[in-house]
Amino acid sequence: MAEWQQNRARRDRRIEAGIKLAEGKIVAAGDATRLLEAVIQPGDRVCLEGDNQKQADLLSAALLAADPARLNTLHMVQSGVVLPAHLDLFERGIAKRLDYAYSGPQSARIAAMLFGGKIELGAVHTYLELFARYFIDLTPHVALIAAVSADRDGNLYTGPNTEDTPTVVEATAFKDGIVIAQVGEIVDHVPRVDIPGDRVHFVVDAGRPFFVEPLFTRDPALITETQILTAMLAIKGIYAPYGVRRLNHGIGFSTAAIELLLPTFGERLGLKGKIATHFALNPHPALIPAIEAGWVEQIHSFGSEVGMDGYIRARPDIYFTGSDGSLRSNRAFSQVAGLYACDMFIGSTLQIDLAGNSSTVTTSRVAGFGGAPNMGSDARGRRHPSEPWLKAGADADPVSPAPLRRGRKLVVQIGETFGEKNAPQFVERLDAIELADRLKLDLAPVMIYGDDVTHIVTEEGIANLLLCRSPAEREQAIRGVAGYTDVGLARDRKAVEGLRARGVICRPEDLGIDPLDADRSLLAARSIKDLVHWSGGLYDPPSRFRNW
Amino acid sequence: MHVSRAESGGDPVGSRPAGAGPRSWYEASARQRLDLLLDPGSFAEFLAPPDRVVSPHLALFDLPHQFDDGIAVGRGRLGGRDVLVAAQEGRFMGGAFGEVHGAKLTGLVKAARDLASTPVLILFDTGGVRLQEANAGELAIAEIMRAVIEARAAGVPVVGLIGGRAGCYGGGGLIAACCSALVISEQGRIAVSGPEVIETNRGVEEFDSRDRALVWRTMGGKHRRLIGAAGTFVDDAVAAFRAAAIECIGENGAIDAAVLAAEQERLDTRVQRFGTMEDGLDIWAALGIPDPKSVPGMPAETFIPLADQFGVNGHDAR
Repeated sequence: MAEWQQNRARRDRRIEAGIKLAEGKIVAAGDATRLLEAVIQPGDRVCLEGDNQKQADLLSAALLAADPARLNTLHMVQSGVVLPAHLDLFERGIAKRLDYAYSGPQSARIAAMLFGGKIELGAVHTYLELFARYFIDLTPHVALIAAVSADRDGNLYTGPNTEDTPTVVEATAFKDGIVIAQVGEIVDHVPRVDIPGDRVHFVVDAGRPFFVEPLFTRDPALITETQILTAMLAIKGIYAPYGVRRLNHGIGFSTAAIELLLPTFGERLGLKGKIATHFALNPHPALIPAIEAGWVEQIHSFGSEVGMDGYIRARPDIYFTGSDGSLRSNRAFSQVAGLYACDMFIGSTLQIDLAGNSSTVTTSRVAGFGGAPNMGSDARGRRHPSEPWLKAGADADPVSPAPLRRGRKLVVQIGETFGEKNAPQFVERLDAIELADRLKLDLAPVMIYGDDVTHIVTEEGIANLLLCRSPAEREQAIRGVAGYTDVGLARDRKAVEGLRARGVICRPEDLGIDPLDADRSLLAARSIKDLVHWSGGLYDPPSRFRNW
Repeated sequence: MHVSRAESGGDPVGSRPAGAGPRSWYEASARQRLDLLLDPGSFAEFLAPPDRVVSPHLALFDLPHQFDDGIAVGRGRLGGRDVLVAAQEGRFMGGAFGEVHGAKLTGLVKAARDLASTPVLILFDTGGVRLQEANAGELAIAEIMRAVIEARAAGVPVVGLIGGRAGCYGGGGLIAACCSALVISEQGRIAVSGPEVIETNRGVEEFDSRDRALVWRTMGGKHRRLIGAAGTFVDDAVAAFRAAAIECIGENGAIDAAVLAAEQERLDTRVQRFGTMEDGLDIWAALGIPDPKSVPGMPAETFIPLADQFGVNGHDAR
């Protein structure tokens, strides 16, 4: 007779093995490693929660301390490979196979380990893709997650940095997996229930908060005049003509400059209420002046941001908040919102090639994708119209009859022709291709494909790739804004002038912008302290961003 | 001494909309500071940009040089009085002292010594000696310190203004300690070893350079004013620095054995009172400040009277 409940029986055996170490569901921090050794089996798929922001840091250290004779060859399926411990697991042989989405701070080491064969790579995903696979073919056997607090029934408060937790728990708990949470404290009543207790099997009392990286804090003091110029070009040359109200911003300094120019430069252009009103966006501190000046109507967030809790609590009209008053973030939902409900993504990259493909990898680093490819891609399943989407569609295809013409999402790459450490942003060939060769990957790690990119903004101007009618035009449009990089110097001057005459390339002067006006005095805030003042003292920046 | 809010015309940093209000000292370049600090149009530069007196060493390291080697020196007028003035550009190699950079300042202060009547203003914005020309830089620091003392012995006030991006570190901190008066803003920092240097040498347990609030509680303008290392605290506005500088050049900058003895006593007392304390907050509490935690967030107009009441005021020293 067929046995249809084997997974459930296996889950129950695991719980039984772990329960000896627990009081109810509560396990002392000192017993965390023993708990993991009891519950996890060799070869299991394990989700160790962590992304570009929050980390189940205690549980990752506990897993690393496990005996490799008992726990080995695990298949890690996790958003972020961020902590050194995440890779130490592979060095020790506890983990063997890896499917992940983001590895920013470990990008150099992970590349070395992939190259050295220490890690058997499944694939590098976007967040949304990895989440999707949790429900199809990468469902975790065990999820190790992080929460702010728990009650004795295991109800979890994940607080402002809820992020990936609901998605991970959904996939694990409803498919007979085990959910183990580290929490900062055990309380009688959690402030709000983010994860119901019947989905949580064990709670480890860490006695301290989980680690969170302040990823989205950009110090306005570091914004350069060139970045201000690119921000002015974007606002006047893209936001305004397309009437972009629903959007996502990347985390770079150019987009921070845009946020800080809305109440000054944007105000002068009379754009308030006409652009940048609805965001899929983390609670960027740089957006505080625009919010205070009445520009922003609503923001849904992937995660929270260190120091923003007090401000968010006081502005529930803007943010999504729970019954306890604090932010409720959700990475999966916000990624979907960015993909389907936003008309524009604007962000920075490290390298752009002649077809407009862009990548943040260099030959020695594998940073992963995070969320940018979902934000920065045209959603082919989108069916609802909006003015910017229809206008971009018409730019790309003036011929088809309007009722049958797809709209286009605006996907904008913004940056200086020479980026960090004076590395050229424009290249003939992406380093990603060489990396793929070295690691024998089927796909080069391209962050945003050229056919999704609609505009490139540099200090030299805007290239509207929607208006290009051939690959050759596209190449010259890109060369035409590539400044003094080798790619820019190799432009066909006549072709570029022709593109400018057609409005494919727009120079600052074509938009009535004098580069000499790009001055730091245009920024609504020029320091972190300015942001604190704008917030009425509600923003409490992390110490590393202070200069007082 | 302090500059009142009315004189400085300053709002606390950031409470003003951008583009309006007083010009930030911190944001300004060396030449913008000179333009706005001195009486309008009075600045005449020595070894001006067209002279292209640049570092002879940087090319060896494949590094770009700058037309003024990161410092502008010259003469001008301040409140109608002739002054000699030097402004470091913190955005070129962190305002670091190289051979030419140092020689320009040495020459300026020696000229002040010889004139024996014209006050000197040094607009510090420096991380210290430039590593690529360290020997020349270290020598320059020693020469400048000697020139400052000689100028002061000749009765010349030498006033340091500190509020730039790079702070006033390394040899800059040593020269600052020789000045007859220092004016500092919250953004200004004075120290010899910078945060990263301390952390590298003594460990993160001794000093976490990424904890910037700690850095400011240890080296920042408010702390330096409270313990008497800087005599005047101003808001981050060029106008506030100007008003304070006008006052300072009117004071007696002369140095003699009595002043040195008073300075030695001031420093001894400081070590005795605060030497065992772990954190600026402990020192501020020991000074009697009611709510030390509130000091970092305090706007200038609140802090200045607080510092006058509780801070160390040691003007007979220096």
